[in-house]
Amino acid sequence: MLKKSWPKQPDNQKYPPGDYVQVRNTSRSVFMTSDLGVNMPAAFKKRGWDKIWDPQKALVAPEHAGAWWRPIDKVSQRESHRQNAEWARQMGVPEENILDLGRIGIDHHMSVEGAWVTPGSFYLCGDNHTISVGGVGAFGFAPSASNNFIMRFGWTWLRVPGSVKFIIKGKLKKGVMGRDVLEYILKEYGPTVALNKVAEYAGPIIDQMSIDSRCTMCCLSVFIGAKTGIVNPDKKVLDWYKARTDYPFEPLASDPDAQYAAIYEIDGAKIEPMVVVPPHRSTVKNIAEVEGTPITNAFIGSCASGRDEGLAVAAKIMKGRKVNSKVVFNITPGSSASMTRATESGVLETLLKAGAFVCAPGCGMCPGFYTPLAENEVCIGSSTTNVPGRMGAESAKVYLGSPATVAASAIEGKITDPRKYLQEE
Amino acid sequence: MALKFKGKTWIFGDNLDVDNEIVSFAKLHYGVFTHDQLGEHCMENVDPEFHKKVKKGDIMVAGTNFRCGHDHPHAPQSIQQCGISVVVAESFDENYIKNSVAIGLPLIELPGIKKKVKEGDVVEADLHAGIIENVTTGESIKFKPFPDFLLDMLEAGSLEAYGDKLIAEGKG
Ligand code: SF4
Repeated sequence: MLKKSWPKQPDNQKYPPGDYVQVRNTSRSVFMTSDLGVNMPAAFKKRGWDKIWDPQKALVAPEHAGAWWRPIDKVSQRESHRQNAEWARQMGVPEENILDLGRIGIDHHMSVEGAWVTPGSFYLCGDNHTISVGGVGAFGFAPSASNNFIMRFGWTWLRVPGSVKFIIKGKLKKGVMGRDVLEYILKEYGPTVALNKVAEYAGPIIDQMSIDSRCTMCCLSVFIGAKTGIVNPDKKVLDWYKARTDYPFEPLASDPDAQYAAIYEIDGAKIEPMVVVPPHRSTVKNIAEVEGTPITNAFIGSCASGRDEGLAVAAKIMKGRKVNSKVVFNITPGSSASMTRATESGVLETLLKAGAFVCAPGCGMCPGFYTPLAENEVCIGSSTTNVPGRMGAESAKVYLGSPATVAASAIEGKITDPRKYLQEE
Repeated sequence: MALKFKGKTWIFGDNLDVDNEIVSFAKLHYGVFTHDQLGEHCMENVDPEFHKKVKKGDIMVAGTNFRCGHDHPHAPQSIQQCGISVVVAESFDENYIKNSVAIGLPLIELPGIKKKVKEGDVVEADLHAGIIENVTTGESIKFKPFPDFLLDMLEAGSLEAYGDKLIAEGKG
Protein backbone atom coordinates (compact mmCIF):
# COMPACT_ATOMS: atom_id res chain seq x y z
CA MET A 1 0.00 0.00 0.00
CA LEU A 2 2.72 2.41 0.93
CA LYS A 3 4.30 2.41 -2.48
CA LYS A 4 1.04 3.62 -3.90
CA SER A 5 -0.24 5.82 -1.17
CA TRP A 6 2.76 7.93 -0.64
CA PRO A 7 3.25 10.85 -2.99
CA LYS A 8 4.22 9.77 -6.41
CA GLN A 9 7.94 9.76 -6.78
CA PRO A 10 9.13 11.53 -9.93
CA ASP A 11 10.38 8.39 -11.64
CA ASN A 12 7.89 5.97 -10.11
CA GLN A 13 10.91 3.99 -9.11
CA LYS A 14 10.62 0.98 -6.83
CA TYR A 15 12.27 1.58 -3.51
CA PRO A 16 13.45 -1.36 -1.48
CA PRO A 17 12.70 -1.31 2.25
CA GLY A 18 15.46 0.49 4.11
CA ASP A 19 16.02 3.17 1.45
CA TYR A 20 15.42 6.75 2.45
CA VAL A 21 13.04 8.77 0.30
CA GLN A 22 11.71 12.29 0.35
CA VAL A 23 7.92 12.35 0.54
CA ARG A 24 5.18 14.94 0.19
CA ASN A 25 1.81 15.23 1.87
CA THR A 26 -0.96 14.14 -0.54
CA SER A 27 -3.91 14.43 1.76
CA ARG A 28 -6.53 17.15 1.85
CA SER A 29 -4.74 18.85 4.70
CA VAL A 30 -1.52 18.97 6.64
CA PHE A 31 -1.93 19.73 10.25
CA MET A 32 -0.30 22.56 12.09
CA THR A 33 -0.33 21.82 15.79
CA SER A 34 -0.99 24.98 17.64
CA ASP A 35 -0.53 24.24 21.28
CA LEU A 36 1.68 22.76 23.97
CA GLY A 37 4.45 25.23 23.51
CA VAL A 38 4.81 24.67 19.76
CA ASN A 39 5.34 28.14 18.43
CA MET A 40 5.46 28.02 14.67
CA PRO A 41 5.13 31.75 14.02
CA ALA A 42 8.14 32.44 16.26
CA ALA A 43 10.17 29.70 14.59
CA PHE A 44 9.40 31.15 11.14
CA LYS A 45 10.23 34.64 12.29
CA LYS A 46 13.51 33.55 13.80
CA ARG A 47 14.62 32.02 10.51
CA GLY A 48 13.21 34.79 8.35
CA TRP A 49 10.86 32.34 6.57
CA ASP A 50 8.07 34.44 5.10
CA LYS A 51 5.74 31.94 3.47
CA ILE A 52 4.26 28.50 3.97
CA TRP A 53 4.18 25.64 1.55
CA ASP A 54 0.48 25.44 0.67
CA PRO A 55 -1.91 27.71 2.58
CA GLN A 56 -4.94 25.83 1.23
CA LYS A 57 -3.78 22.67 2.96
CA ALA A 58 -2.75 24.08 6.31
CA LEU A 59 -5.08 23.28 9.17
CA VAL A 60 -4.79 25.27 12.36
CA ALA A 61 -6.45 24.42 15.67
CA PRO A 62 -5.73 24.38 19.41
CA GLU A 63 -6.20 20.63 19.46
CA HIS A 64 -4.19 18.92 22.20
CA ALA A 65 -4.75 21.10 25.19
CA GLY A 66 -7.65 23.23 24.03
CA ALA A 67 -8.42 25.57 26.86
CA TRP A 68 -6.04 23.94 29.30
CA TRP A 69 -3.09 25.84 30.73
CA ARG A 70 0.26 24.32 31.59
CA PRO A 71 2.43 26.15 34.08
CA ILE A 72 5.70 25.56 32.20
CA ASP A 73 4.53 27.17 28.96
CA LYS A 74 5.42 30.79 28.71
CA VAL A 75 2.16 31.73 27.04
CA SER A 76 -1.31 30.31 27.61
CA GLN A 77 -2.89 28.01 25.05
CA ARG A 78 -5.39 30.73 24.18
CA GLU A 79 -2.67 33.25 23.54
CA SER A 80 -0.68 30.74 21.56
CA HIS A 81 -3.67 29.83 19.40
CA ARG A 82 -4.51 33.47 18.81
CA GLN A 83 -0.95 34.12 17.61
CA ASN A 84 -1.02 31.05 15.39
CA ALA A 85 -4.39 31.90 13.89
CA GLU A 86 -3.41 35.49 13.14
CA TRP A 87 -0.18 34.37 11.58
CA ALA A 88 -1.96 31.70 9.52
CA ARG A 89 -4.31 34.36 8.15
CA GLN A 90 -1.32 36.46 7.14
CA MET A 91 0.12 33.42 5.39
CA GLY A 92 -3.08 33.09 3.35
CA VAL A 93 -4.66 30.12 5.11
CA PRO A 94 -8.41 30.17 4.32
CA GLU A 95 -10.80 30.93 7.16
CA GLU A 96 -12.44 27.48 7.03
CA ASN A 97 -9.07 25.87 7.85
CA ILE A 98 -8.64 27.88 11.04
CA LEU A 99 -10.64 26.17 13.75
CA ASP A 100 -11.21 27.00 17.36
CA LEU A 101 -12.72 25.55 20.51
CA GLY A 102 -16.26 24.33 20.07
CA ARG A 103 -15.53 23.11 16.57
CA ILE A 104 -12.54 20.88 17.17
CA GLY A 105 -11.14 17.95 19.10
CA ILE A 106 -7.97 15.88 19.26
CA ASP A 107 -6.34 16.30 15.86
CA HIS A 108 -6.40 12.55 15.17
CA HIS A 109 -10.17 12.56 15.64
CA MET A 110 -11.09 15.69 13.83
CA SER A 111 -8.82 15.00 10.86
CA VAL A 112 -10.96 11.90 10.34
CA GLU A 113 -14.32 13.37 11.32
CA GLY A 114 -13.84 16.45 9.17
CA ALA A 115 -12.52 14.31 6.28
CA TRP A 116 -9.36 16.41 6.28
CA VAL A 117 -7.55 13.17 5.69
CA THR A 118 -8.21 11.38 2.42
CA PRO A 119 -8.39 7.56 2.10
CA GLY A 120 -5.38 6.28 0.21
CA SER A 121 -3.32 9.39 0.85
CA PHE A 122 -0.13 10.17 2.65
CA TYR A 123 -1.00 12.32 5.63
CA LEU A 124 1.43 14.29 7.74
CA CYS A 125 0.50 15.60 11.13
CA GLY A 126 2.02 16.43 14.50
CA ASP A 127 2.53 13.42 16.72
CA ASN A 128 2.81 9.71 16.29
CA HIS A 129 -0.82 8.84 17.00
CA THR A 130 -1.49 10.46 13.64
CA ILE A 131 -1.36 6.90 12.46
CA SER A 132 -4.92 6.55 13.77
CA VAL A 133 -5.96 7.68 10.28
CA GLY A 134 -4.99 4.21 9.05
CA GLY A 135 -8.52 3.37 10.14
CA VAL A 136 -9.76 5.17 7.04
CA GLY A 137 -7.08 3.72 4.83
CA ALA A 138 -4.63 6.62 4.88
CA PHE A 139 -0.93 6.36 5.52
CA GLY A 140 -0.52 8.58 8.56
CA PHE A 141 2.95 9.69 9.35
CA ALA A 142 4.23 11.74 12.24
CA PRO A 143 6.87 14.27 11.32
CA SER A 144 7.45 14.90 15.02
CA ALA A 145 9.99 17.68 15.42
CA SER A 146 9.89 18.45 11.69
CA ASN A 147 6.63 20.40 11.81
CA ASN A 148 8.08 23.79 10.95
CA PHE A 149 10.10 22.40 8.08
CA ILE A 150 7.07 20.64 6.61
CA MET A 151 4.90 23.73 6.90
CA ARG A 152 7.57 25.65 4.99
CA PHE A 153 8.70 23.09 2.41
CA GLY A 154 5.86 20.54 2.24
CA TRP A 155 8.03 17.47 2.35
CA THR A 156 9.73 15.21 4.78
CA TRP A 157 11.52 11.90 4.48
CA LEU A 158 11.03 8.38 5.54
CA ARG A 159 12.83 5.10 5.45
CA VAL A 160 10.91 2.79 3.17
CA PRO A 161 9.24 0.36 5.53
CA GLY A 162 8.46 -3.27 4.99
CA SER A 163 5.02 -4.46 6.00
CA VAL A 164 3.65 -7.00 8.39
CA LYS A 165 0.12 -8.25 8.12
CA PHE A 166 -2.17 -9.39 10.90
CA ILE A 167 -5.12 -11.43 9.73
CA ILE A 168 -7.74 -11.64 12.44
CA LYS A 169 -10.01 -14.59 11.79
CA GLY A 170 -13.14 -16.01 13.32
CA LYS A 171 -15.36 -14.02 15.61
CA LEU A 172 -14.66 -11.84 18.61
CA LYS A 173 -16.26 -12.72 21.90
CA LYS A 174 -18.90 -10.34 23.17
CA GLY A 175 -17.29 -7.52 25.14
CA VAL A 176 -13.98 -7.78 23.26
CA MET A 177 -13.20 -4.59 21.37
CA GLY A 178 -10.67 -3.45 18.73
CA ARG A 179 -8.45 -2.26 21.52
CA ASP A 180 -8.23 -5.77 22.98
CA VAL A 181 -7.18 -7.14 19.58
CA LEU A 182 -4.26 -4.75 19.39
CA GLU A 183 -3.16 -5.37 22.99
CA TYR A 184 -3.40 -9.11 22.31
CA ILE A 185 -0.99 -8.67 19.40
CA LEU A 186 1.36 -6.76 21.71
CA LYS A 187 1.11 -9.50 24.34
CA GLU A 188 1.67 -12.35 21.91
CA TYR A 189 4.31 -10.85 19.66
CA GLY A 190 5.97 -8.09 21.67
CA PRO A 191 6.69 -4.38 21.22
CA THR A 192 8.97 -4.80 18.19
CA VAL A 193 6.83 -7.13 16.07
CA ALA A 194 6.17 -4.33 13.58
CA LEU A 195 9.25 -2.22 14.30
CA ASN A 196 9.53 0.52 11.69
CA LYS A 197 7.10 -1.36 9.48
CA VAL A 198 3.59 -0.84 8.25
CA ALA A 199 1.19 -2.92 10.32
CA GLU A 200 -1.70 -3.93 8.10
CA TYR A 201 -4.83 -5.37 9.66
CA ALA A 202 -7.14 -7.60 7.66
CA GLY A 203 -9.47 -10.56 7.88
CA PRO A 204 -13.13 -11.09 8.68
CA ILE A 205 -13.01 -9.44 12.08
CA ILE A 206 -11.44 -6.29 10.67
CA ASP A 207 -13.94 -6.26 7.80
CA GLN A 208 -16.78 -6.18 10.29
CA MET A 209 -15.08 -3.77 12.64
CA SER A 210 -16.32 -0.20 12.95
CA ILE A 211 -14.20 2.66 11.62
CA ASP A 212 -13.79 3.79 15.24
CA SER A 213 -12.23 0.50 16.32
CA ARG A 214 -10.02 0.40 13.26
CA CYS A 215 -8.77 3.87 14.17
CA THR A 216 -8.09 2.66 17.72
CA MET A 217 -6.05 -0.29 16.50
CA CYS A 218 -4.05 1.91 14.15
CA CYS A 219 -3.58 4.55 16.86
CA LEU A 220 -2.08 2.01 19.25
CA SER A 221 0.14 0.43 16.60
CA VAL A 222 2.82 2.77 17.93
CA PHE A 223 3.23 0.30 20.78
CA ILE A 224 4.07 -2.63 18.54
CA GLY A 225 6.74 -0.42 16.98
CA ALA A 226 4.85 0.25 13.74
CA LYS A 227 5.64 3.20 11.59
CA THR A 228 2.00 3.26 10.72
CA GLY A 229 -1.06 1.06 11.08
CA ILE A 230 -3.47 0.65 8.22
CA VAL A 231 -6.64 -1.08 7.10
CA ASN A 232 -7.42 -1.15 3.40
CA PRO A 233 -10.26 1.28 2.73
CA ASP A 234 -13.46 -0.66 2.02
CA LYS A 235 -16.96 0.39 1.02
CA LYS A 236 -17.74 1.47 4.56
CA VAL A 237 -14.85 3.94 4.47
CA LEU A 238 -15.51 5.21 0.99
CA ASP A 239 -19.18 5.86 1.74
CA TRP A 240 -18.21 7.58 4.94
CA TYR A 241 -15.77 9.82 3.12
CA LYS A 242 -18.03 10.68 0.22
CA ALA A 243 -20.75 11.71 2.63
CA ARG A 244 -18.43 14.35 4.04
CA THR A 245 -16.56 16.01 1.21
CA ASP A 246 -16.20 16.29 -2.54
CA TYR A 247 -12.46 16.58 -2.29
CA PRO A 248 -11.05 14.23 -4.95
CA PHE A 249 -9.17 11.14 -3.88
CA GLU A 250 -7.85 7.87 -5.11
CA PRO A 251 -8.76 5.04 -2.71
CA LEU A 252 -5.55 3.06 -2.90
CA ALA A 253 -5.09 -0.27 -1.18
CA SER A 254 -2.29 -2.76 -0.73
CA ASP A 255 -1.30 -4.80 -3.77
CA PRO A 256 -2.84 -8.27 -3.83
CA ASP A 257 0.69 -9.59 -4.37
CA ALA A 258 2.34 -7.32 -1.81
CA GLN A 259 5.37 -8.77 -0.05
CA TYR A 260 5.16 -8.99 3.70
CA ALA A 261 8.04 -9.43 6.09
CA ALA A 262 5.68 -11.62 8.10
CA ILE A 263 2.02 -12.59 8.18
CA TYR A 264 0.39 -13.46 11.48
CA GLU A 265 -2.91 -15.28 11.58
CA ILE A 266 -4.84 -14.77 14.76
CA ASP A 267 -7.89 -16.62 15.97
CA GLY A 268 -10.19 -13.87 17.20
CA ALA A 269 -12.09 -16.25 19.46
CA LYS A 270 -8.97 -16.60 21.63
CA ILE A 271 -8.87 -12.90 22.50
CA GLU A 272 -10.05 -11.96 25.97
CA PRO A 273 -10.45 -8.42 27.29
CA MET A 274 -6.84 -7.32 27.77
CA VAL A 275 -5.31 -5.04 30.39
CA VAL A 276 -1.98 -3.20 30.21
CA VAL A 277 -0.34 -3.33 33.61
CA PRO A 278 1.90 -0.59 35.05
CA PRO A 279 4.60 0.58 34.92
CA HIS A 280 5.56 -0.66 31.43
CA ARG A 281 3.49 -0.03 28.35
CA SER A 282 4.26 -3.46 26.99
CA THR A 283 3.13 -5.61 29.93
CA VAL A 284 -0.24 -6.96 28.85
CA LYS A 285 -2.36 -9.51 30.70
CA ASN A 286 -5.65 -11.26 30.23
CA ILE A 287 -8.22 -9.54 32.40
CA ALA A 288 -8.59 -12.65 34.58
CA GLU A 289 -5.06 -12.06 35.92
CA VAL A 290 -5.81 -8.57 37.26
CA GLU A 291 -9.52 -8.71 38.00
CA GLY A 292 -10.37 -7.35 41.40
CA THR A 293 -7.53 -4.80 41.56
CA PRO A 294 -9.06 -1.81 43.41
CA ILE A 295 -9.17 1.48 41.50
CA THR A 296 -9.76 5.09 42.46
CA ASN A 297 -10.14 6.56 38.98
CA ALA A 298 -11.42 5.56 35.60
CA PHE A 299 -11.02 7.38 32.31
CA ILE A 300 -12.55 7.02 28.87
CA GLY A 301 -11.11 9.29 26.26
CA SER A 302 -7.95 10.12 24.26
CA CYS A 303 -7.11 9.40 20.64
CA ALA A 304 -7.23 5.68 21.46
CA SER A 305 -10.90 5.88 22.32
CA GLY A 306 -13.15 8.87 23.03
CA ARG A 307 -14.91 8.21 19.73
CA ASP A 308 -18.62 7.51 19.39
CA GLU A 309 -18.21 3.78 19.86
CA GLY A 310 -16.27 4.05 23.12
CA LEU A 311 -18.79 6.47 24.59
CA ALA A 312 -21.70 4.34 23.42
CA VAL A 313 -20.40 1.11 24.93
CA ALA A 314 -19.79 2.93 28.21
CA ALA A 315 -23.38 4.19 28.17
CA LYS A 316 -24.69 0.71 27.44
CA ILE A 317 -22.87 -0.63 30.49
CA MET A 318 -23.67 2.33 32.75
CA LYS A 319 -27.36 2.55 31.89
CA GLY A 320 -29.37 2.45 35.09
CA ARG A 321 -26.18 1.92 37.13
CA LYS A 322 -23.94 4.20 39.17
CA VAL A 323 -20.25 5.00 39.26
CA ASN A 324 -18.79 3.42 42.40
CA SER A 325 -18.73 5.87 45.30
CA LYS A 326 -14.94 5.51 45.63
CA VAL A 327 -14.24 6.23 41.97
CA VAL A 328 -13.94 9.40 39.90
CA PHE A 329 -14.93 8.46 36.36
CA ASN A 330 -13.65 11.02 33.88
CA ILE A 331 -15.20 10.79 30.42
CA THR A 332 -13.77 13.11 27.79
CA PRO A 333 -15.22 12.95 24.29
CA GLY A 334 -12.47 13.26 21.70
CA SER A 335 -14.10 16.06 19.79
CA SER A 336 -16.95 18.54 19.86
CA ALA A 337 -18.61 16.63 17.03
CA SER A 338 -18.44 13.39 18.96
CA MET A 339 -19.85 15.09 22.05
CA THR A 340 -22.69 16.54 19.99
CA ARG A 341 -23.63 13.12 18.64
CA ALA A 342 -23.42 11.64 22.13
CA THR A 343 -25.81 14.35 23.29
CA GLU A 344 -28.26 13.67 20.49
CA SER A 345 -28.23 9.93 21.07
CA GLY A 346 -28.77 10.18 24.82
CA VAL A 347 -25.37 8.62 25.56
CA LEU A 348 -24.20 11.64 27.54
CA GLU A 349 -27.39 11.78 29.57
CA THR A 350 -26.89 8.15 30.62
CA LEU A 351 -23.28 8.76 31.58
CA LEU A 352 -24.06 11.93 33.52
CA LYS A 353 -26.93 10.28 35.37
CA ALA A 354 -24.58 7.45 36.32
CA GLY A 355 -22.30 9.98 37.96
CA ALA A 356 -19.50 10.27 35.42
CA PHE A 357 -17.54 13.51 35.27
CA VAL A 358 -17.80 14.61 31.66
CA CYS A 359 -15.06 17.02 30.54
CA ALA A 360 -14.62 19.38 27.63
CA PRO A 361 -13.59 17.60 24.41
CA GLY A 362 -9.89 16.99 23.78
CA CYS A 363 -7.07 14.80 25.08
CA GLY A 364 -8.52 15.01 28.57
CA MET A 365 -6.86 12.95 31.21
CA CYS A 366 -4.50 11.10 28.85
CA PRO A 367 -1.67 13.58 29.47
CA GLY A 368 -3.11 14.69 32.82
CA PHE A 369 -5.29 17.57 31.60
CA TYR A 370 -8.28 17.73 33.96
CA THR A 371 -8.57 15.42 37.02
CA PRO A 372 -4.85 14.55 37.05
CA LEU A 373 -4.08 11.60 39.32
CA ALA A 374 -3.08 12.37 42.88
CA GLU A 375 -0.32 10.51 44.77
CA ASN A 376 -0.84 6.73 44.84
CA GLU A 377 -4.17 6.78 43.04
CA VAL A 378 -4.94 3.83 40.78
CA CYS A 379 -6.62 4.43 37.45
CA ILE A 380 -7.89 2.31 34.63
CA GLY A 381 -8.02 4.23 31.39
CA SER A 382 -8.79 3.57 27.76
CA SER A 383 -6.07 6.05 26.78
CA THR A 384 -2.81 5.43 25.00
CA THR A 385 -0.04 4.97 27.53
CA ASN A 386 0.68 4.39 31.18
CA VAL A 387 4.28 5.53 31.71
CA PRO A 388 4.69 6.73 35.31
CA GLY A 389 3.45 10.27 35.76
CA ARG A 390 1.70 10.34 32.43
CA MET A 391 -1.67 11.16 34.01
CA GLY A 392 -0.49 13.01 37.08
CA ALA A 393 1.52 11.92 40.12
CA GLU A 394 4.42 9.61 39.37
CA SER A 395 3.40 7.37 42.25
CA ALA A 396 -0.03 6.79 40.69
CA LYS A 397 -0.60 3.54 38.81
CA VAL A 398 -2.29 3.39 35.44
CA TYR A 399 -3.87 0.27 33.96
CA LEU A 400 -5.23 0.41 30.41
CA GLY A 401 -8.17 -1.43 28.90
CA SER A 402 -11.04 -1.07 26.46
CA PRO A 403 -13.82 1.46 27.15
CA ALA A 404 -16.05 -1.51 28.10
CA THR A 405 -13.53 -2.73 30.67
CA VAL A 406 -13.11 0.79 32.04
CA ALA A 407 -16.87 1.33 32.41
CA ALA A 408 -17.41 -2.02 34.14
CA SER A 409 -14.51 -1.27 36.48
CA ALA A 410 -15.92 2.18 37.29
CA ILE A 411 -19.13 0.55 38.50
CA GLU A 412 -17.41 -1.96 40.75
CA GLY A 413 -14.49 0.14 41.96
CA LYS A 414 -12.09 -2.59 40.87
CA ILE A 415 -10.85 -3.98 37.59
CA THR A 416 -13.80 -5.90 36.19
CA ASP A 417 -14.44 -8.10 33.19
CA PRO A 418 -17.02 -6.17 31.13
CA ARG A 419 -18.69 -9.27 29.78
CA LYS A 420 -20.92 -9.71 32.76
CA TYR A 421 -22.52 -6.37 31.92
CA LEU A 422 -23.00 -7.20 28.26
CA GLN A 423 -24.74 -10.54 28.50
CA GLU A 424 -28.31 -9.42 28.45
CA GLU A 425 -28.59 -8.51 24.74
CA MET B 1 34.04 16.63 6.11
CA ALA B 2 32.66 16.72 9.56
CA LEU B 3 30.51 14.05 11.20
CA LYS B 4 33.46 12.24 12.70
CA PHE B 5 33.37 11.43 16.38
CA LYS B 6 35.60 9.83 18.96
CA GLY B 7 34.60 9.09 22.51
CA LYS B 8 34.10 6.72 25.36
CA THR B 9 31.04 4.49 25.22
CA TRP B 10 28.12 4.07 27.58
CA ILE B 11 26.04 0.96 27.04
CA PHE B 12 22.26 0.70 27.51
CA GLY B 13 19.58 -1.94 26.95
CA ASP B 14 16.67 -2.59 24.59
CA ASN B 15 13.26 -0.93 24.26
CA LEU B 16 14.13 2.22 26.20
CA ASP B 17 10.95 4.25 26.48
CA VAL B 18 11.24 7.87 25.53
CA ASP B 19 9.10 9.00 28.44
CA ASN B 20 10.45 6.75 31.14
CA GLU B 21 13.99 5.49 30.73
CA ILE B 22 15.44 8.20 28.50
CA VAL B 23 14.01 11.16 30.32
CA SER B 24 10.85 11.49 32.38
CA PHE B 25 8.01 12.97 30.39
CA ALA B 26 6.09 13.55 33.58
CA LYS B 27 8.76 15.65 35.23
CA LEU B 28 9.12 17.88 32.19
CA HIS B 29 5.40 18.11 31.61
CA TYR B 30 4.62 19.03 35.19
CA GLY B 31 7.44 21.52 35.46
CA VAL B 32 9.73 19.59 37.85
CA PHE B 33 12.46 20.61 35.43
CA THR B 34 12.58 22.73 32.30
CA HIS B 35 13.73 22.08 28.75
CA ASP B 36 17.10 23.61 29.62
CA GLN B 37 17.61 21.00 32.32
CA LEU B 38 16.81 17.93 30.23
CA GLY B 39 20.47 16.91 30.12
CA GLU B 40 20.69 16.69 33.91
CA HIS B 41 17.91 14.09 33.93
CA CYS B 42 19.02 12.00 30.97
CA MET B 43 18.72 8.26 31.74
CA GLU B 44 18.17 8.95 35.42
CA ASN B 45 15.58 6.18 35.74
CA VAL B 46 18.21 3.71 34.50
CA ASP B 47 21.32 5.21 36.11
CA PRO B 48 20.76 8.22 38.37
CA GLU B 49 24.46 9.17 38.18
CA PHE B 50 24.72 9.00 34.39
CA HIS B 51 24.50 12.72 33.72
CA LYS B 52 27.36 13.34 36.16
CA LYS B 53 29.62 10.65 34.74
CA VAL B 54 29.13 11.35 31.04
CA LYS B 55 31.65 13.64 29.38
CA LYS B 56 31.16 15.87 26.39
CA GLY B 57 31.77 13.89 23.22
CA ASP B 58 31.02 10.48 24.75
CA ILE B 59 29.11 7.96 22.70
CA MET B 60 25.92 6.16 23.67
CA VAL B 61 25.46 2.56 22.54
CA ALA B 62 22.06 0.93 22.94
CA GLY B 63 20.10 -2.14 21.91
CA THR B 64 17.05 -2.63 19.76
CA ASN B 65 14.05 -0.32 19.36
CA PHE B 66 15.87 2.65 20.81
CA ARG B 67 13.30 5.16 22.00
CA CYS B 68 10.04 3.27 21.93
CA GLY B 69 6.66 4.71 22.83
CA HIS B 70 5.76 8.27 22.02
CA ASP B 71 7.65 10.49 19.64
CA HIS B 72 8.41 13.28 22.07
CA PRO B 73 11.45 15.20 20.86
CA HIS B 74 12.77 15.78 24.36
CA ALA B 75 14.56 12.39 24.26
CA PRO B 76 17.26 13.39 21.75
CA GLN B 77 17.33 16.87 23.26
CA SER B 78 18.17 15.37 26.62
CA ILE B 79 20.85 13.13 25.13
CA GLN B 80 22.35 16.05 23.21
CA GLN B 81 22.32 18.32 26.23
CA CYS B 82 24.14 15.85 28.42
CA GLY B 83 27.03 15.87 25.98
CA ILE B 84 26.60 12.69 23.93
CA SER B 85 28.00 13.22 20.43
CA VAL B 86 26.40 10.28 18.64
CA VAL B 87 24.04 7.43 19.52
CA VAL B 88 24.75 4.00 18.07
CA ALA B 89 21.99 1.42 18.42
CA GLU B 90 21.06 -2.02 17.15
CA SER B 91 17.86 -0.47 15.81
CA PHE B 92 15.97 2.77 16.15
CA ASP B 93 12.35 3.63 16.15
CA GLU B 94 12.11 5.91 13.17
CA ASN B 95 10.47 8.75 15.04
CA TYR B 96 13.62 8.94 17.09
CA ILE B 97 15.69 9.18 13.93
CA LYS B 98 13.53 12.07 12.73
CA ASN B 99 13.68 13.94 15.99
CA SER B 100 17.38 13.37 16.33
CA VAL B 101 18.16 14.56 12.81
CA ALA B 102 15.88 17.56 13.34
CA ILE B 103 18.08 18.81 16.16
CA GLY B 104 21.35 17.72 14.59
CA LEU B 105 22.20 14.85 16.96
CA PRO B 106 23.95 12.20 14.85
CA LEU B 107 23.01 8.54 15.08
CA ILE B 108 24.12 5.25 13.62
CA GLU B 109 22.05 2.13 13.24
CA LEU B 110 24.21 -0.94 13.42
CA PRO B 111 22.78 -4.38 14.24
CA GLY B 112 25.29 -6.37 16.29
CA ILE B 113 27.07 -3.35 17.78
CA LYS B 114 26.51 -4.44 21.36
CA LYS B 115 28.54 -7.59 20.78
CA LYS B 116 31.48 -5.54 19.55
CA VAL B 117 31.70 -2.84 22.17
CA LYS B 118 32.02 -2.98 25.96
CA GLU B 119 31.23 -0.08 28.23
CA GLY B 120 34.19 2.24 28.44
CA ASP B 121 35.70 1.23 25.09
CA VAL B 122 36.76 4.18 23.01
CA VAL B 123 35.23 4.21 19.55
CA GLU B 124 35.66 6.38 16.52
CA ALA B 125 32.79 6.85 14.11
CA ASP B 126 32.71 8.33 10.63
CA LEU B 127 29.17 8.84 9.33
CA HIS B 128 30.22 9.63 5.77
CA ALA B 129 32.55 6.67 5.40
CA GLY B 130 30.19 4.32 7.26
CA ILE B 131 32.89 3.01 9.59
CA ILE B 132 33.05 2.59 13.33
CA GLU B 133 36.38 1.66 14.81
CA ASN B 134 36.63 0.26 18.30
CA VAL B 135 39.91 1.91 19.22
CA THR B 136 40.19 -0.18 22.38
CA THR B 137 40.01 -3.53 20.57
CA GLY B 138 41.26 -2.39 17.18
CA GLU B 139 38.25 -3.83 15.36
CA SER B 140 36.55 -1.84 12.66
CA ILE B 141 32.94 -2.31 11.68
CA LYS B 142 31.20 -1.10 8.54
CA PHE B 143 27.69 0.28 8.29
CA LYS B 144 25.58 1.70 5.48
CA PRO B 145 25.86 5.49 5.61
CA PHE B 146 22.78 7.67 5.52
CA PRO B 147 21.91 9.14 2.10
CA ASP B 148 23.47 12.49 1.34
CA PHE B 149 20.41 14.60 2.12
CA LEU B 150 20.28 13.24 5.67
CA LEU B 151 23.99 13.76 6.16
CA ASP B 152 23.48 17.31 4.85
CA MET B 153 20.74 17.85 7.44
CA LEU B 154 22.99 16.59 10.22
CA GLU B 155 25.87 18.70 8.99
CA ALA B 156 23.71 21.81 8.85
CA GLY B 157 23.22 21.31 12.60
CA SER B 158 19.44 21.18 12.46
CA LEU B 159 16.62 20.56 10.04
CA GLU B 160 15.69 24.22 10.07
CA ALA B 161 19.25 25.33 9.33
CA TYR B 162 19.14 22.88 6.43
CA GLY B 163 15.94 24.65 5.34
CA ASP B 164 17.85 27.95 5.26
CA LYS B 165 20.38 26.28 3.01
CA LEU B 166 17.65 25.09 0.63
CA ILE B 167 16.26 28.62 0.42
CA ALA B 168 19.74 30.03 -0.23
CA GLU B 169 20.16 27.51 -3.05
CA GLY B 170 16.80 28.52 -4.54
CA LYS B 171 15.20 25.15 -3.64
CA GLY B 172 12.57 26.54 -1.30
S1 SF4 C 1 -5.02 11.80 23.54
FE1 SF4 C 1 -3.08 11.47 24.53
S2 SF4 C 1 -1.82 10.30 23.12
FE2 SF4 C 1 -3.58 11.11 22.00
S3 SF4 C 1 -2.86 13.01 21.09
FE3 SF4 C 1 -3.77 13.54 23.06
S4 SF4 C 1 -2.11 13.50 24.54
FE4 SF4 C 1 -1.41 12.45 22.71
